[in-house]
Amino acid sequence: MSKVSSIGIDAGSTTCKLVAIDCDGAIVGSRLEPTEPRVEIQMERMLAALRDELEAGPEAPVIATGYGRKLIKEATRNVTEITCHARGVFRALGRAGTLIDIGGQDSKVIQVGDNGRPVDFMMNDKCAAGTGRFLEHTAARLGVPVDQLGGRALSARGEEAITSTCTVFAESEIISLIARGADPDSILRGLHRSLVGRVISMVRNVGIVTPLMLSGGVARNDAVRTMIAEAASEEVVLPGEPQLMGAYGAALLGGTA
Amino acid sequence: MSESDALAHYVESNRLEHFVNYELVGKSALRVQRWRDQWKLKRRKPRPDSPLSPPLQCVAYMKEIMSRHYLEGRYASGVRKVAWVTSGAPTEPLQALGYFLVYPENHAALCGVRRKAQSIAEEAEHAGWSRDICSYARTDIGAMLSGKTPAGRLPRPDMLVCCTNICQTVLHWYRVLADYFECPLVLIDTPFLYDEAHDHEVAYVKRQIEDMIHVAEEMAGTTLDQARFAEVMQNARRGAELWLEVLNRSQNRPAPMTAFDGFIHMGPIVDMRGEAVAVQYYERMLHELDARIARGIGAIKNERYRVLWDNLPIWFKIGEFSKSLGEHGVNVVASTYTYAWGELAPMIDPNNPLESMARVYLHPILNRSTGHKLEAMKKMVDEFQLDGVILHSDRSCKPYSLGQIDQRDRLSKTLGIPALLLEADHNDPRDYSNEQGANRLEAFIEMMEARG
Amino acid sequence: MLRAHRLHPIEIWGPPHIARHEGNRHFQTYACDIVVKAMAFIRSGGIDATRAILVPHTCDALQGMGSVLTDFFRPDQRVLTLYLPRGRRTSDRDFLRDELARLSKTLVQVSGHEPNATEWAEAFEAEDAADAALADLYRRRNALAISDRDFYTAVRSREFLTAEKFCEQVATLPAGQAPRGGVGLMISGIVADPFELFDQIEQMGAHVAGDDLACGYRRVYSASHEHDPLIRTANRLMSCPPDPTCGTPIHERVEALQTRMRALGAKGLLIYDPKFCEPELFDVPLLRKHLNEAGFPVLHVEYEMGEGLPHQTLSRIEAFVETLS
Repeated sequence: MSKVSSIGIDAGSTTCKLVAIDCDGAIVGSRLEPTEPRVEIQMERMLAALRDELEAGPEAPVIATGYGRKLIKEATRNVTEITCHARGVFRALGRAGTLIDIGGQDSKVIQVGDNGRPVDFMMNDKCAAGTGRFLEHTAARLGVPVDQLGGRALSARGEEAITSTCTVFAESEIISLIARGADPDSILRGLHRSLVGRVISMVRNVGIVTPLMLSGGVARNDAVRTMIAEAASEEVVLPGEPQLMGAYGAALLGGTA
Repeated sequence: MSESDALAHYVESNRLEHFVNYELVGKSALRVQRWRDQWKLKRRKPRPDSPLSPPLQCVAYMKEIMSRHYLEGRYASGVRKVAWVTSGAPTEPLQALGYFLVYPENHAALCGVRRKAQSIAEEAEHAGWSRDICSYARTDIGAMLSGKTPAGRLPRPDMLVCCTNICQTVLHWYRVLADYFECPLVLIDTPFLYDEAHDHEVAYVKRQIEDMIHVAEEMAGTTLDQARFAEVMQNARRGAELWLEVLNRSQNRPAPMTAFDGFIHMGPIVDMRGEAVAVQYYERMLHELDARIARGIGAIKNERYRVLWDNLPIWFKIGEFSKSLGEHGVNVVASTYTYAWGELAPMIDPNNPLESMARVYLHPILNRSTGHKLEAMKKMVDEFQLDGVILHSDRSCKPYSLGQIDQRDRLSKTLGIPALLLEADHNDPRDYSNEQGANRLEAFIEMMEARG
Repeated sequence: MLRAHRLHPIEIWGPPHIARHEGNRHFQTYACDIVVKAMAFIRSGGIDATRAILVPHTCDALQGMGSVLTDFFRPDQRVLTLYLPRGRRTSDRDFLRDELARLSKTLVQVSGHEPNATEWAEAFEAEDAADAALADLYRRRNALAISDRDFYTAVRSREFLTAEKFCEQVATLPAGQAPRGGVGLMISGIVADPFELFDQIEQMGAHVAGDDLACGYRRVYSASHEHDPLIRTANRLMSCPPDPTCGTPIHERVEALQTRMRALGAKGLLIYDPKFCEPELFDVPLLRKHLNEAGFPVLHVEYEMGEGLPHQTLSRIEAFVETLS
């Protein structure tokens, strides 16, 4: 008899995540892959693989969230990422607060209430600046791999201020700086500062209810975390698996936990 | 202490503060500051590397005048009635009634020049105001919410006066202020002139000015003294005439001052229109300009090209543009924006104050059609003998910016001179790309050079 | 007034499916869709079948459009303007009367017809009936067995149908129990486009309890019974519900919204605006603040006309509905 109580699917635009939970709401299995063009087919495959691994049949309800949620045929229900992220983080950290989710293509700030439900939220999903893409794109220009971004930014000796808020303008600015011989790590640091500035703006808009919590792919970036804490003068806490929070929340909404 | 006693005590202590800090100490301290600034200016070593001539000496007086105004603002509450007004508002009656006037736009510009506008505007943005609204409004609302200002402290308004001749946005902005300050808002709605002004429009504005006077009198607890009002009108007219003369001096070759100087020196005619101090200031300035002209001194050392600037300045770039354009021998000698406060001088009739005010306040260039703005620019190209036009496409200022694409095309085609549309904002540095802007300006200069 | 002068108006709100770039030849990217698309529409021959185009003055963008059309574009059609005052004082009413008198003279030149008293009276009778039918449509909403999409299709037909045809059309709407599933939303803004938005809201488990839209409730005018036709027209225009483009103070808007939301059972306010609309944007933070204090959550969404309903927009609205459920 499988221990799987429900499965959550987060069909994001950059990555696809699956999380299976047991009747106590603990994570018993998960999957994460970069999103493929035919996400419905990918999901079928990932779901089958997860069920296989956990020896689970099709009885457990499947809840979908994320960009491609309506394409998932197996899903019995779909819920927005806002509600799912709030739920996931609330359960993972056990507290209400302000959740900052910085994904590959969007960023959100969600005020999580005492019952794990979103009280208010703000999203940035029309502009690359303020998302993981801003860092990736401009870092690619500097020839730095994504997983080294945070470390190099934090260890920089100086910081070059990047004043452009637009990714395209920022790129021109960076080219200028490089031409003038600026240190690449200092530029990276400035880039991170710029990203964090955008995010903090949204945070101030929604209003800070402590603690600040971080989820999404960019949460693993130490520089982003450190700078958010500095800018807000508040502690920043991370769940164990920041990227899985959406899928986790979706699974929780499906189960009894 | 009873409530009326407490109020009397408050007013008394405010009056005392006003007298000591402003009248006694403040004014003197600013005068000393001005002496020091003048001394520094006189002793300034020539800078052979700079493309710019030394700054005008009178700027020390201008700083004193403006600083004095803001200084008094710190202590004005409870001593004088305070009105916050739009830059195009018919303020002469309020001057005559003894109101202390705050110009939020001027304050926002000051924040822009001092590079503080972005952080102050962010306070408004964090409270929910969109970045797509005018950067002056965001700066002002941000200052209101946070108290942050490089100007010391702005006194709370007893009354707001909003005149729509510069744009419709001010009404929305001032309604926000009215909600926050919980004080009366007087609206002077000036219908837009698609062509000439019609009688019913003049009558409408005149009536609203009369209504404003009634409200202001009641609030101030006095009636408008006609002699004082006439004096203020005389000063307003004379100040505007002098300002126009100052600007027209740039028709000389080389021009003794730049439009960037104009953006700075326009402070008194905007904020102190109707006061004798503005008249005296421009007399002094004109004197100095004439001295320069007599000696053939231009604002830039090597004036090769003369250019018109349309729309508001980019406040956070004035120094930089001045220098970089100067280095290329480009003198921005005129602007439609500064001209607006002088060109209506002949319309001001102190003998017929209300009727003439109604007309004057309908006719600022911002309240005129896009066709009229084009004709005004063409006229300036001719009168000032200009080689090119820079049209600042100010994201925040739709009444000025919408129409520029057609105006630019026509300036370029009918006058055959380079005309550059420069995308930016007057106060928000995030809306200007240094690299892209510099590139466009260089291309513009190259076009002027190519024409010989 | 237009009817009395034998002119039939067709309103342009966009149109949504025309591309912006022809409009951007005259107006920068920071001008709103209402103006840029209208300009593109005109450039593509959209108003060729008309005698004139009337551009009311209610904001800086429309001001620019009226002026550029008059001075630069110069279509074959006559360009007419109408300055709508921003106050509700006697001085504003008197001005508006005179402004309408000025407009009337130009209308006579356009249609070649000057209306007499009888024609004015007939015109008022017909249009007052249509206004009353619109007001009645709102009153009867819950007793109409039609979807929100169909309701707003009916409301918006006032933009192009004659008064008689509009009255006919609303009379034929089927009575019955209105489908009112789930959470009630009040929707505020300029124009709710595309119509598919209403379908999506329904699918989310919500319904539109009422609106504060420029193309909807904000045009529910009250009749005036003044004798002078110009004063009567001025009074009617000035009787519109609260509207930021008419200078309504924020607290009046808040009061009206709260009252209506309680009466109609709306749990939250969705402010749905085209980008770059200053009259709307200035009020949003204070509307949100005061309505939140009164227990009503507020969501502000901006959209670009004609781009369909992007995932981002739907996600936000859906998440909002989830918080209200």
